[in-house]
Amino acid sequence: MAEIPDTIVLKRDRYLAKRSKELWVRRTLFLLLTAFIVAALANVFGQRSSTSEMAVPAATLTIHSPTSLRSGLTFETRLRIIASQEIKDAIVVLSPEWIEGITFNTIEPSPVGEASKDGRLSFDLGHIPQGQTYSLYLQMQVNPTTFGMRTEETQVFDGKTLLLTSRRDVTIFP
Amino acid sequence: MDIAIRAVVLYVFVFLLMRLAGRRELSSLQPFDLVLLIIIGDALQQGLTQSDYSVTGAMIAVGTFAALQVGTSYLNFKFKRLRPVLEGYPIVVVQDGNVIEANLKRERIAVEELAQAARLEQIASLDDIAWAVLETSGRISFIPKKSS
Repeated sequence: MAEIPDTIVLKRDRYLAKRSKELWVRRTLFLLLTAFIVAALANVFGQRSSTSEMAVPAATLTIHSPTSLRSGLTFETRLRIIASQEIKDAIVVLSPEWIEGITFNTIEPSPVGEASKDGRLSFDLGHIPQGQTYSLYLQMQVNPTTFGMRTEETQVFDGKTLLLTSRRDVTIFP
Repeated sequence: MDIAIRAVVLYVFVFLLMRLAGRRELSSLQPFDLVLLIIIGDALQQGLTQSDYSVTGAMIAVGTFAALQVGTSYLNFKFKRLRPVLEGYPIVVVQDGNVIEANLKRERIAVEELAQAARLEQIASLDDIAWAVLETSGRISFIPKKSS
């Protein structure tokens, strides 16, 4: 037999004694990687939009927006108010979780007025006749350093009267 | 601060990815592999510094990678027990002209690839090899039989 090269240990490097677990570690890592990719395909990490709906006798609010996001992503949120009864002065109030660490690139159509309502963002949409729908499009972007879980609250008022409150959980992955 | 954290996370991810890829992929860089490397680098960069174009940001990212690399090699040098995890051990694939099929299969290397690597070292026949060792770097080192 040829002379064994220096530092080569036959038992370990030729017969791979006690090295079977290396293979299993590699297989486990591969499985984890596959699971990660499958989870991504299954929208676990965003950014497919989902629709949530909240209905009361006076109005129905649907929010079409992703619930899983990633830092830096540009996305669209669509708020739709269907007035079952006439809403004389529709106001949408968004909790700070909607805006903190997230940039509003544009809002279409522009609200009649914007204000801070007890630390929350208030959009005055004006009059919505009975049976009509008001759609508000918000083009948004997650700031690169933003991540974590949050609950976004949306309220619809008719003047000072609260019509409905909707909450949705959003996860922002780093 | 978050650039440093991102750098650590990405370093660990790439490290695990390289360990997962195995030595075969590391040793045989085809043109497509090179393109893939560039794409991986580009994808990593976006997650690493994102919209930070500052010199400070770049220094933090590069500095963290350098520190992690030095730290890893130090741990590998200092603690023998960590070697199988951090670097692994070499694997003998030819002994006395006999190809060790089980070891080749484990590293997903075909005999033809082994013969090709031998030819690159001016060894025409695998029978002429005393030892062929798949090193931790992914390269195969050949020790020819001594001519009598």
